[in-house]
Amino acid sequence: MTPSHKSSSPAIYLDYAATTPVDPRVAELMIECLRPEGAHGNPSSGHTFGTRARSMIEKARQQVAAAIGARPECIIWTSGATESDNLAILGVARFHADRGRHVVTSRTEHKAVVDAFKQLEKEGFEVTWLKPGTDGIVRPEQVREALRPETQLVSLMHVNNETGVIQDVAAIGAICRERGVAFHVDAAQSAGKLPINVEAMNIDLLSLTAHKAYGPKGIGVLYIRRRPPLGLRPISYGGGQETGLRSGTLPTHQIVGMGLAFEIGEREREADVTRLSALRERLLKGLLAIGGVELNGHPTERVAGVLNVCFHNVEGESLRFGLRELAVSSGSACASGSDEASYVLRALGRSDQLAQSSIRFSLGRFTTEDDVDRAIAIVSREVGRLRALAPTSTPTP
Amino acid sequence: MEPEYSSTVVEHFEHPRNGGHFEAGEGVIRGTAGSVAQGTMFVLSAQVAEERIEAVRFEAYGCPHCIAAGSWLSERLVGLSREQLRAWRWRDADQALQFPLEKRGRLLILEDAVRALSEAWTRLIP
Ligand SMILES: Cc1ncc(COP(=O)(O)O)c(C=O)c1O
Repeated sequence: MTPSHKSSSPAIYLDYAATTPVDPRVAELMIECLRPEGAHGNPSSGHTFGTRARSMIEKARQQVAAAIGARPECIIWTSGATESDNLAILGVARFHADRGRHVVTSRTEHKAVVDAFKQLEKEGFEVTWLKPGTDGIVRPEQVREALRPETQLVSLMHVNNETGVIQDVAAIGAICRERGVAFHVDAAQSAGKLPINVEAMNIDLLSLTAHKAYGPKGIGVLYIRRRPPLGLRPISYGGGQETGLRSGTLPTHQIVGMGLAFEIGEREREADVTRLSALRERLLKGLLAIGGVELNGHPTERVAGVLNVCFHNVEGESLRFGLRELAVSSGSACASGSDEASYVLRALGRSDQLAQSSIRFSLGRFTTEDDVDRAIAIVSREVGRLRALAPTSTPTP
Repeated sequence: MEPEYSSTVVEHFEHPRNGGHFEAGEGVIRGTAGSVAQGTMFVLSAQVAEERIEAVRFEAYGCPHCIAAGSWLSERLVGLSREQLRAWRWRDADQALQFPLEKRGRLLILEDAVRALSEAWTRLIP
């Protein structure tokens, strides 16, 4: 079997929610850091090589802290949002296990959250899995109703990675604070796209990752409220870096990259969002004009760059193969490769068939109007072609 | 991790032959199997004359392998007699298109559509 791929024009990248390219300004700074005259010292060392690296790391800590309205000492470096989610969820639940074993999350969280909670179930915790409405939104009242005297933690994402739908984390944060329950937010998909203020939103723990915000892969942050201190048990042990919560030598070049990426992201956020909203509307208009196309998730409570739509009467695998000139996602990247319909879209009430015939288009800093127009033309061509081949009605033999 | 497709599958997927259907009429038979809800559906229609199949049209809802199979079959069936149509089995398409193991069930749906076509022929001229 010789696999064949269309190799005419280069693919159009519309998969920014999976990961973004590194901003050239960020790449430049990281490379500088990696050069011999850069900052190769171990940031834990007391000599000048070490202190140079340490001061770069502390600057980056301030940059990320400023982007989310936090104090720098509340920022812990991790390897990405997966590790941050695990540290937050397992760390808080295990630390407070003797006070109560009830935790709350939703059915449409990222796997990094879902599977951390499944691990807690194995450890004897009871998990309440909130079901969002068909618009993808978990109502704050649902959270209030789920809380019990023994509830230790609520974890809900700010923006859903598949649909782009925004949760009202500020309202949920207020409820949790009032009841004294720790509140964790996975903000991997909202950094640089929405304003985040951990103080104003009453967020106790917040996961971030650099690679969805024009920074490098393999570096992330967990924000942890320090006042009053939040009990947290580490998930790995070693040299005691990051106040013992996350041992391991800090990767200076990665951290420096994340710091600058977040500084740029915050500085350029409004301009980016305005531009992306216009591009997304253009894409949506073009796709709706094809007919038999429906938006997945809430029509307005969504981030600028993400559009998830389902195509009626087109089979999912053929649609994806037909669209292989476009770098887009169906379901989430980690779930594709399997034939399974996206659990997120299923939770929103989509049938298996429609979930499989859904495509996530995600736009970003380097997307152009021309990219969007070409994407519309390709989708329109392929959907039209596949529908023309599909059985028209239930024929009588 | 996208599934791989043989060059024959890609060729038929990109340039399907004989897509569509014949309107009901003299010498037109039709065979249907599967459903959209099930993820795979085939509709075959054929123009028969003098105990031979003269032309075939196909409609398919399914994965690229299925669309390719419908297209490939639409050429393959031309010229077949009643007996030959009745004897057609899915392995024929599998050899030509190399279906992945987990998709074999979809070829059985195609075989069902051929059988329905064959039965429609019997009803037409018993
Ligand atoms: C909402 C959400 N959480 C967590 C992750 C995992 O992030 P990372 O790749 O940094 O581990 C992702 C990205 O895949 C995500 O979209």
